[in-house]
Amino acid sequence: MSRALIFGLLLALAAALALRCPQLDIRPMHNDEAVNAIKLRTLWEQGSYKYDPQEYHGPTLIYLTFAWMKLIGPVQFAHFDEIQLRLITVIFGVGLILFLPLISDALGRGAIVCAAILIAVSPAMVFYSRYFIHEMLLVAFTFLTIAAGWRYTRNRKPGWAVLAGVSIGLMQATKETFVLSIAAAVAAIFLNKLCNRDPNETANVFSLNRQHLIAAIAAWFITVIVLFTSFFTNARGPLDAVLTYFPWLHRVEGASPHLHPWDYYLSRLIYFHSGRGPVWSEALVLILAIVGIIAAFNPKSRLEGNRKFIRFIALYTIILTAIYSAISYKTPWCLLSFWQGMILLAGVGAMALINLGSQFIWKIPVSCVLLALTVQLAYQAWQVSVPYASNIHNPYIYAQTSDDILNLVERLDKLAPTDAQKNSFVIKVMAPDSEYWPLPWYLRQFKQVGFWPRVPADPYSDAMIVSTAFQANLDQKKTHIMAGLFELRPQTFFELYVETNAWTTYVNGAQRSQ
Amino acid sequence: MNLLADDSNELVPLKPKLPAAAFVGTPKDIPPGSIIEPSVDKSKPPLRIPKDAVNIAPSAQITTSDANAKPDALRKITDGIKEADDANLVLLRKGVQYIQFDFGSPQQIFALVIWHAYDTPKVYHGVVVQLADDAGFTKNVRTIFNNDAANADGRGAGTDHEYFESFEGKTINAKGENARYVRLYTKGSTDGSFNEYTEVEIYGRPMK
Repeated sequence: MSRALIFGLLLALAAALALRCPQLDIRPMHNDEAVNAIKLRTLWEQGSYKYDPQEYHGPTLIYLTFAWMKLIGPVQFAHFDEIQLRLITVIFGVGLILFLPLISDALGRGAIVCAAILIAVSPAMVFYSRYFIHEMLLVAFTFLTIAAGWRYTRNRKPGWAVLAGVSIGLMQATKETFVLSIAAAVAAIFLNKLCNRDPNETANVFSLNRQHLIAAIAAWFITVIVLFTSFFTNARGPLDAVLTYFPWLHRVEGASPHLHPWDYYLSRLIYFHSGRGPVWSEALVLILAIVGIIAAFNPKSRLEGNRKFIRFIALYTIILTAIYSAISYKTPWCLLSFWQGMILLAGVGAMALINLGSQFIWKIPVSCVLLALTVQLAYQAWQVSVPYASNIHNPYIYAQTSDDILNLVERLDKLAPTDAQKNSFVIKVMAPDSEYWPLPWYLRQFKQVGFWPRVPADPYSDAMIVSTAFQANLDQKKTHIMAGLFELRPQTFFELYVETNAWTTYVNGAQRSQ
Repeated sequence: MNLLADDSNELVPLKPKLPAAAFVGTPKDIPPGSIIEPSVDKSKPPLRIPKDAVNIAPSAQITTSDANAKPDALRKITDGIKEADDANLVLLRKGVQYIQFDFGSPQQIFALVIWHAYDTPKVYHGVVVQLADDAGFTKNVRTIFNNDAANADGRGAGTDHEYFESFEGKTINAKGENARYVRLYTKGSTDGSFNEYTEVEIYGRPMK
């Protein structure tokens, strides 16, 4: 690697860490993050994890976080915090930059540096790097698969084929949507071959030696079997990994609350403005990606990298974007899969623009404009990740937990401030359809917590957290007082009831401390 | 038989195993701007006040604990426009903040109706309403509403319930108390840390 490439990557790495690491706990845990965390708790405390084909995606996030927590975390799950959990996705978000040198000869060194910087500052990439869900892992493993595949085409060493196989296995064990990336990649390979009928090129750039192919498939299967069987403790896991597509297909067909129009992802990325919030836009990436695509398909354009590979990335990205846009089931973090391809193309596009003129009088102003726009993107990334982290006007939040939930948690924490009190303080949580997440995460330090999808026959305890939908009026007997209303998510509210004596003790203590 | 010596007769609290949380998938997202009204108790009859009691809030001088708030902006609190529109809102900074009404002379006050902000379902924390005879709230201070159960405002722990903001506003019974000054406290809402006011109406008449 050249010094310029190393310097560029280090710069991108520094920017990526600067935007991803600060105040990782500023956004309250999302429902999905809490579900993942509590699944980790089962593995941590009971040593068990079992893949569920109905929901919650694959095992890699849980197992990798388990290993990560063994390395850095405290012994008791109750002492885990949001920062420790989210650092795992930060690592994979930054890993996208570290993997880039694997394709430096494919994309071109300049394009690699530009892509690295755009990965570092893309608001979507930054925001979801700080989010304890599966998406960033899927994007990283997908990129590793492509990079390993590329390296294999360069030197035909079986190790790269095996790495590609393992990476596909990790993709599958991360999230069911990996099939979309694989489908887009296969389609792009075939289309690319049609586009590239150049008699001077050696044929079958993407072809595999049969033994290497078998080794890659074996690596894929072994990875899948090891992870989906939960390390050989759940024989049904690999079958469930296939059966999972039936419930997911059912949702894609329309049985889901997450149905959105085709332009849902692109509208969030290109132009988003809601209410009192600012205007958000990552249009820079899209525009540069279009320039990159044009350059890839224009034989006269000057490209530093491998034209076939760049065309493959272009076709892969266009197809994947079309697939994700066409599927009605949409959650905003899914956009990362095709946005990663866009950013690679944007790197190519940026260099194509800079190299459009050969004189410094062209290169310097163009570089300065691109740099200024990139700084603006970095500013948006900070805004979206910290000041607007849980704000409803943020384009990347979705059913986000309200900041107000932290007031509820703080109040409970003060009601039972010591570990001994937390061990005996009984909390009953009641909400229709079990819509009380992420409370199980926030109540992790309390040992006596129960959850009900309705108001039980005996609802009374030291504290009750009750959905307002029940109109429970649990203070009518005067044994408890209603100590406040709290917002879990927009339009989802809970009442806190506290046993009268416990509340009096708390209030008197608070008054004394004032 | 010595019952005290027999461990089997010792009474202990019943502690049944509590049900664990049921895992759920990603919840439905509520897009910005869509409003689902939370249930409101319609059973209470409207408050009854004397026939000659009128809204005296527009004639009062309004001040606030937020030094950044401008007098022109504060006038929006009593301009009679109470639609849930950003343009009608007065925004006060984070933390415990109050607005204060000075009627110039003691008034007999029967009711207050308060609209904080109801652009989206939200609940204001630490809502306290006090009456007093002096601007510093040291003389004859009376609390007519307090849902600050945790005493976050420092005005004492209240026993009134928190409530959802709505287009109907929150009506508070002042029971004909005499006072020259009225203070309204809040400490943010479920929607954010800032304090907001759309409109306040105070129904009263000159003290007889």
